[in-house]
Amino acid sequence: MTTYIINLAILIGINAILAVTLNFILGYAGIFSLAHAIFFGIGAYTAAIAAMKFGADFAVATAAGMVISGVISLALALPALRVRGEYFVAASLGLQMLAVTVFSEWKSVTGGIGGLIGIPPARLFGFDVSEPVLFLGLTIACLAVILIIIRALVRSSFGRSLKAIRDDETAASALGKNVALLKTLAVMVSSSFAAVAGSLFTFYLSFINVESFVLEVSVQIIAMVIIGGTATLLGPVIGAVIVLLLPALLTYLPYLPPTEIGSIQQMIYGLAMVLLMIFRPSGLWGYGSDSQKRGEP
Amino acid sequence: MVFLQLFVNGLQLGAIYALTAVGFSLIFGSTKIFHVAHGSAFAISGYIYWWLASKLNVPWPVATLAAVVAAAAFGLFMERFIYRPIQRHEASFFTVFIAAFGVQLFIQNLIGTVAGRGMETVTTPLSRSIEVVDGLFIAPIAAISIAVAILVFTALSYFLGRTHIGIAMRALSENPDLVRVFGLDPGRVAQYAFAIGSAVVVPGAIFTAMTAGLNPAIGTHVMLVSLAATIVGGIGSVRGAACGGMLLGLAENLAYWKLDPQWSEAVTFIVLFAFIIFRPSGFFGSSTIAK
Amino acid sequence: MSGEILFQADNISKTFGGLKAVDNVSFALRAGIVTTLVGPNGAGKTTLFNAMTGHLVPDQGAVTFLGKSILGLPRWKVARLGIGRTFQDLKLFSHMTVLENVTTATESGSWLWQTGGRASKAARIERIERALAATQLQRRRDTRAVDLSYAERKFLSIARIMASGARLWLLDEPASGLDRSSYDRFLTVLRNEVTSGVTICIIEHNLDIVQSISDRIAFLDQGKLLAEGDPKTILSDPALAAIYFGERA
Repeated sequence: MTTYIINLAILIGINAILAVTLNFILGYAGIFSLAHAIFFGIGAYTAAIAAMKFGADFAVATAAGMVISGVISLALALPALRVRGEYFVAASLGLQMLAVTVFSEWKSVTGGIGGLIGIPPARLFGFDVSEPVLFLGLTIACLAVILIIIRALVRSSFGRSLKAIRDDETAASALGKNVALLKTLAVMVSSSFAAVAGSLFTFYLSFINVESFVLEVSVQIIAMVIIGGTATLLGPVIGAVIVLLLPALLTYLPYLPPTEIGSIQQMIYGLAMVLLMIFRPSGLWGYGSDSQKRGEP
Repeated sequence: MVFLQLFVNGLQLGAIYALTAVGFSLIFGSTKIFHVAHGSAFAISGYIYWWLASKLNVPWPVATLAAVVAAAAFGLFMERFIYRPIQRHEASFFTVFIAAFGVQLFIQNLIGTVAGRGMETVTTPLSRSIEVVDGLFIAPIAAISIAVAILVFTALSYFLGRTHIGIAMRALSENPDLVRVFGLDPGRVAQYAFAIGSAVVVPGAIFTAMTAGLNPAIGTHVMLVSLAATIVGGIGSVRGAACGGMLLGLAENLAYWKLDPQWSEAVTFIVLFAFIIFRPSGFFGSSTIAK
Repeated sequence: MSGEILFQADNISKTFGGLKAVDNVSFALRAGIVTTLVGPNGAGKTTLFNAMTGHLVPDQGAVTFLGKSILGLPRWKVARLGIGRTFQDLKLFSHMTVLENVTTATESGSWLWQTGGRASKAARIERIERALAATQLQRRRDTRAVDLSYAERKFLSIARIMASGARLWLLDEPASGLDRSSYDRFLTVLRNEVTSGVTICIIEHNLDIVQSISDRIAFLDQGKLLAEGDPKTILSDPALAAIYFGERA
């Protein structure tokens, strides 16, 4: 039983990192990405290759993943952010679909549909950290470090600029902010930290394949961010907990056919998103609904 | 000859994409709502047609009518019960997008649970190909889908250019107050936009049911292409969306000429990316003025 | 300092789908002078501002600031040169507090930290406090912009541009809808800024403001600059008054 809980906790930790990093661009900067799972995947594949082919330890493998993820996010961000926000959504959705095809077809690097197996156990500075409890500690440590960094960023001038862009891009640029550059930096930060989750995932499973990085996963991360709330730092973490515990909870409901649990999960996310947007949209910013006070002549 | 075959297939697919993209562009162009649940209109009408025509053996005109009603009703439902309440308080891009996305997610999985996750097709003699020339196979459905698409566009052009409501729809995006000058209520015009924009996808959905087949995820795929077509064609241009859809349908099929089938979806993205980088205003869009 | 030409527009035109929103407009803004742009609704005043700040690229004409052309520069570069602007609909950062709104106005660098070290930081804090004091928003510093009263929101818009350190302020109907005492206070703030060296160009409908603060008035109608000169001459011209009050169809 404890192994089950530890494993669940590790998964929650990994997903929490994904949710927190997505919230950085979605909640704080107002940038919509449907491709977050891809940067998760890039981090995972890079770490796997670094470990398998170059004997890298966890730190090096993760660093490699972060760099590659950051660079590729540039390729997405630079063209798409130059123009309207809707373009970024479209481009990110397209990237998500394209990357899945690349992951499935590039057999020499990603192992194709079969994926990569036999990833060596995680080592950190010479110590074996693959034992479940130790690995959980590693996961929590990574999550904590990322939370601290994101908190610092949000409170910095960079964070303020991003929030300004989210609230009114035109006014932000009228105050001298280079909106395109700021958004690009935000996307790079978000994507490289998502790669950390990928590295953890790789060492955790010792096996990765494309199924873990498809559109449904990007959607699930969005659901975590929305359900947990975008306004706070820990909201996405709570969202990750809720979303990951949901399937376990659903198995306890007697009248649900087990084959449909996946679908029902998604329907619940969908419904939650709609209802939240209609009834508590500003609640997601963490404050009460005060938009009425905005009345101007 | 392979090239010609792929070209014809591309036209057929392009017609379907063009219809769907035009619907999305009409809605987005007049109401400025990023209606990412548009793919669900396609899925719903397709499945209703399949269920009635294939499973219940209802005659096709009735099934078609039912599909049109279903699509339009879906559009109206979204406008009245989802988007309008949201626009009453916090109508940011974020809230509208997430709500539409949630609906799309819900419906896709609902269809999967109710109708099954496999590929469903409607068998019809129309999809049987005839060898027109040596090596070139065309089914009647190809000609029909292209003809219907052209018919729908012509009707739509007339509607947008000549009728009060049509003109009001074009005015709505520029200046809601202008709409009142016509004696129309902006809310009403938005409803028309949603109803018509959603209904326009029905021929495409039916043809897909008859040819490639339906699956619950067809909504997402169609949505991606509509989005890409709208951008490629130029945001705000219905004509552009039609051309964009045509182009993407052709690109997707012509890709088979040189690439493996798994890359066909990737081609859509590559075309989209190319346009975003080199010509963000698309074919016919107004140049993107700094907001 | 007064008399130096800060900003120059030469023969600017902008057409939107057949409608000439700005028609061959030329004028200059001199340092330390308050210019008011008046004219009936739809005269092209906001469009002119847009063309001046890089929000729009004019179809033809030249736009120079401090002698250098700024035509075609992106909005953020124009802003960093020292041209600040407010909007008719304010465009406050609604979910951020007053303090955050004003603070972010002082931060135009894009990196993860602001350059300049401690001295620069002290200077920024001083600008922030000065802006908050001048607009009497010190006690509201932790209130979210969306929770402010109407007048406070108008003042926050000014506090932001003040903190940004802009030399030239383009204000779009900054005082519309303010009650009497608020706009007296508002005028005082503007006058103080002019005394400390800021050049202001205001779009305004309120003739009281126009009369009490303008050094020069520019009259626009249907995209054309009909007249430009000192307030007395312009305001006593009966033909202009007729246009302004809409006596012409």
